[in-house]
Amino acid sequence: MSSIAVLRSRHQRKRIRFSQVEPYLFILPFVALMAAFNLYVYFSGIRLAFTDAQGINPGEWIGLANFAELIADKQDFWPAIGRTFLYTFGCLITQIPAALVLAVILNSKIFGRLRGALRASFYVPVLMNTVVAALLFRMMFLRDTGMVNWFLGVLGLPDKTNWLYEPKLSLLLMIIVSFWQWTGYHMVYLLASLQSINPTIYEVANLDGASPFRTLWQITIPLMRPALTFVSVMSAIGGLMQFEYSFMLFPNAGFGPGMKAMTGIPYIYYHAFRSNFRFGYATAAGWILFLIILAVSLLQIRVIGLGRAEDEV
Amino acid sequence: MALSKPAPERETRLFGLTRKITAKIKAKKIRRGLAIGVMCFIALFYLAPLLWLFDTSFRPKVEIFNVPPRILQGPPWETFRSYSLESFKVAIGRYQMHQGFLNSVLVTAGAIILTLLVCSLAAYAFALLKFPGRDVIFYCILATMMLPITTMLAPLFKVMQSYGLYNKHIGLILLYSTSAFGVFLLRQYYVRLPISLIEAAVVDGASKFRIWWWIVLPLGKPVLSTLAIYQFRYVWNDFLVPLILLRSKNLHTLPIKLQVMDSITIAKDYDAMIATGFIAILIPIVFFLLFQRHFLEGLSGSLKE
Repeated sequence: MSSIAVLRSRHQRKRIRFSQVEPYLFILPFVALMAAFNLYVYFSGIRLAFTDAQGINPGEWIGLANFAELIADKQDFWPAIGRTFLYTFGCLITQIPAALVLAVILNSKIFGRLRGALRASFYVPVLMNTVVAALLFRMMFLRDTGMVNWFLGVLGLPDKTNWLYEPKLSLLLMIIVSFWQWTGYHMVYLLASLQSINPTIYEVANLDGASPFRTLWQITIPLMRPALTFVSVMSAIGGLMQFEYSFMLFPNAGFGPGMKAMTGIPYIYYHAFRSNFRFGYATAAGWILFLIILAVSLLQIRVIGLGRAEDEV
Repeated sequence: MALSKPAPERETRLFGLTRKITAKIKAKKIRRGLAIGVMCFIALFYLAPLLWLFDTSFRPKVEIFNVPPRILQGPPWETFRSYSLESFKVAIGRYQMHQGFLNSVLVTAGAIILTLLVCSLAAYAFALLKFPGRDVIFYCILATMMLPITTMLAPLFKVMQSYGLYNKHIGLILLYSTSAFGVFLLRQYYVRLPISLIEAAVVDGASKFRIWWWIVLPLGKPVLSTLAIYQFRYVWNDFLVPLILLRSKNLHTLPIKLQVMDSITIAKDYDAMIATGFIAILIPIVFFLLFQRHFLEGLSGSLKE
């Protein structure tokens, strides 16, 4: 009798235990993958950044030497970081206003059914592989056979610029390609945000005799501020993490003429896999870049607020 | 409307007024037509590089770098006579582009399926089950969204090698399926599922796993397709991670094939590169035209959260 009771209670305890454990089993696959492929990579990056590891050679602990070298490096590292910011800034100030203007234009009623087609044609470059976009624009920018110079010639403008081999133009080219590829992305989001604005606000403004420009400046833009901020932050993070344009837009995988297209991630890739396989050094550079990106991401959370986003959904 | 009513004024005055209004309407129509025309022109200009790529991928090698482009030399229908599949043959014969395509399909499909299963199961627990530490773990997962893997290229390479997953497709698939954004997106959707259905299933004695498989997964189809398309765009187009993790030629995905073609310094096969590029972007564009709504939802979803 008592043994049965013991068995039953054991059995019950076991069942209770299983239902308690079950949710953890459900999240286990994801958490395990996350731990193995994301957290552990970062964790092993901590040690690696303090060694002189080179390729498969595990290297030895050298303390802060990598960081000291990076911080003192005014020849390559800081210019690369500077270019990263310049490129990001260039992308921001060109793409966001252009995307806003396009969105406001496409939002007007006159386009009717055509709106979908126009929106799609600005969005198609977003779907493209960035490598293909970079190679395509390299062919466009060739001096003698490229379409850009041909078109400039048709317009009667100077058409002999050697775009791809002019160090001063490297960042500009990257900003142009990025503009072409990503403006549609921002536009689609801003358009969706525009369409969620209550139209009666505009009717009132119209009755009050507000000019279209004033309506845009004093009604549309303030109402779209969250969307604009969000798009800007996404664009900034994308710019800071840029790799393909530096690597594939210019001939010979040389990161542009005189390496003047070298930005943050390409710098890490170059030192880890292209020149001397300095894994330790590249990892230290990765940490510095990570801190920069983290600062921007935290800004994103502060400005948009994760908690608020959750309430809205 | 008011115009159709007989006005008390003299007829000439009425006539003048209608004429003024029709002139105004006419001007408005012209302005509209002009605005539409200008926008269509801008859109066409915007797409010109892409149209050039589509056109040249069917051109023989000698015509690729024609200036002006071959299609503008004479009536287009006549230039179409030089269309051929030569570039694709070169890409397949010399660079095994078809292999690259299959590799891309395999990695993308594998990553999408695994992501959906793993993220959905976790999101189900976070949304509909109660357990100690749930919210803390969830916020920790959200925080990992701020750990971009590309800043840690060298550690990634070493870790994948130590797992024995370097130079293997399965390594990429596992790596891609750790989508914290996916868990977040699905959880937000699952929280709003009709609770009555799930309660009914509980009363019927269904296990939690069965509820996930038979109720939560089917009900969440819209959000699953949004996540699938998000992952598709990311994995299909990703370049840097496969660049450092795939060494063998027969494992290369399409973007890596392009990089390999480009790394030949003398006499690059631009025709093969253009053909491969065409295939690489054709798939997403076809998908986009088929499922446009889901693409755009995924976009605004990804930005909203």
